[in-house]
Amino acid sequence: MNFVTLAARNLGRRKGRTALTVLGVAVAISLLFSLLSFNSGYESQLNREIDSLGVHLLAVPKGCPYEAASLIMHGGVIPKYLSAQDLASVREIDGIKIASPMLLHQFYVSGSPHVVYGVRINETLLLKPWWKVEGRFFSDDEAGVIMVGHSLAEKENLTVGQKIPFGPQREEFQIVGILDRTGEQDDQFHFLPLAEAQRIFRKQDRITTVAVKVEDVREISRIAGEMEKIPSVQVVTMAQITGTIMNLAASARTLLLSVIAVALVISAFGILNTLLMSINERAQEFGMMKAIGASGLDIGRMVMAETVFLTAAGGLLGVGASLVGSGLIESLVKSWLPYAPGGSFLFADPALLAFCLLFSVLMGLICGLYPAVKSSRTSPMEAIRGGME
Amino acid sequence: MSIIEASGLTKVYRRGREEIYALKGVNLEVQAGEFIALVGPSGSGKTALLNVLGCLDAPTSGMVKILGTETRGMKERDLVSLRRENMGFVFQRFFLMPTLTARENIELPLLFSRKKVSPGRIEEILALVGLQDRAEHLPGQLSGGEMQLVAIGRALVNDPRIIMADEPTGNLDSETARRIYQLFQELNEKGITLLTVTHNPELARLAGRTLTLRDGKIVGQG
Repeated sequence: MNFVTLAARNLGRRKGRTALTVLGVAVAISLLFSLLSFNSGYESQLNREIDSLGVHLLAVPKGCPYEAASLIMHGGVIPKYLSAQDLASVREIDGIKIASPMLLHQFYVSGSPHVVYGVRINETLLLKPWWKVEGRFFSDDEAGVIMVGHSLAEKENLTVGQKIPFGPQREEFQIVGILDRTGEQDDQFHFLPLAEAQRIFRKQDRITTVAVKVEDVREISRIAGEMEKIPSVQVVTMAQITGTIMNLAASARTLLLSVIAVALVISAFGILNTLLMSINERAQEFGMMKAIGASGLDIGRMVMAETVFLTAAGGLLGVGASLVGSGLIESLVKSWLPYAPGGSFLFADPALLAFCLLFSVLMGLICGLYPAVKSSRTSPMEAIRGGME
Repeated sequence: MSIIEASGLTKVYRRGREEIYALKGVNLEVQAGEFIALVGPSGSGKTALLNVLGCLDAPTSGMVKILGTETRGMKERDLVSLRRENMGFVFQRFFLMPTLTARENIELPLLFSRKKVSPGRIEEILALVGLQDRAEHLPGQLSGGEMQLVAIGRALVNDPRIIMADEPTGNLDSETARRIYQLFQELNEKGITLLTVTHNPELARLAGRTLTLRDGKIVGQG
């Protein structure tokens, strides 16, 4: 027999109370793990997604709302447009490799938003050479054709060759291609030839943005400066996009952090309460142990072992639950965020797992300190004056 | 040789403004190998004397020496060590750990003394108290007499020189009580000093010396 066995047996005495305490710790640690995992995963996913745009600069209409960049990435509607003339002006700037116009539009079917990108396919494929398609890519001058992202096709059971009513007039469009899964936002979108998008949404000669790829990345700031000289154009760099979105995410993160801090404090008080109840109930037992040779340190060590058991079990359960339920947690977290990249940002990072488990043990050591000291001071006379079985 | 010496022992309990004198100047000398029964009516100070002699409680005044070492002013950890090395305790209410088996309850003091004993030693104690067949049972599965035998086994595991028992048969039927006292006699024959508190005059007669207490004083011995 050793102190660990003794502590484990003691915790088994009040199974319901032990289980509830472990559950409280598990919830707090699960939240902590999710937030920390989210912190490290979010930025890297965001950068990956921005890279997946395949562009260095975006030209958007002047006076766009400050979150224009994120709207473009996840397919929101910007109520301002650039003209064909603006596109031509951008293309005249020296050092630009590709300047591809895009029209974004959004419409609702049964209450859920559908995002449409009108693109020039040849230029888009230069920006996103990794795109692969089941079926075929449309050509820029085709009419009545559409391509859809992989997740969207899965969600709506769309197949290549299928004809679907589409757009505000519910015109018949044929699906000519379904994009292979990219793991990015593109998986959720509809893609139309630019001219078709302009026609069905009645935005002739209008575009939402011009995606620009430069010849030499060292020229980005010069080119951005020249683009800014076009009267109706505002330039957004990828760094600005990242910065804007990270700033927006920071406020959501602060809110989450506050919730977690509260959960941790509640959980800590839960542990403390359980331990204090437990040691008060067992004062006579500790007194008996003192009588038969236990030192104060022995008693304190046993109480500490019980606490660490509780919190480590809670930590393991919390981290395990986070990993198992990461899908649910992610969808919850993503719904709070101004912009959520595609893909997963909760994953089993060993360092993070170790940190959360260590944190739970540390929480146990801190919470157990007072009960351990209190119980270690129990006098043998407690047992003699009171009574046990 | 005196194994326990006490002189001028007083013990005062305070309940609000009231002072209750449990011991009033008790002098006592216990020789190694004695079997002493402390008898007397309820409230006479028997348990208070046993607790003070067993270093479980501090006297209000007076002196106690255990194996020649004066206990006054000793630190708690030294008192723990003194008890652990030299004394075993048996209480009326057994005080067994409900989550541990009979065997584990007997082994419990070894966890605190860090003593290594051979597995044979535990079997020996189980045989001595007659509980070989009940070793893996939890206290809740044992009778009162069996629980007290486990408590005696626990008191023996550190090979103490002195065993202090407070009303060890108070909760037991007369046959089981006799068995416990016979066991005490066997232990005494092996050289262990025994001090036991009892209300039972028949059992007290089995002890080598009987000290009668009344109102916190030793008023007779036989």
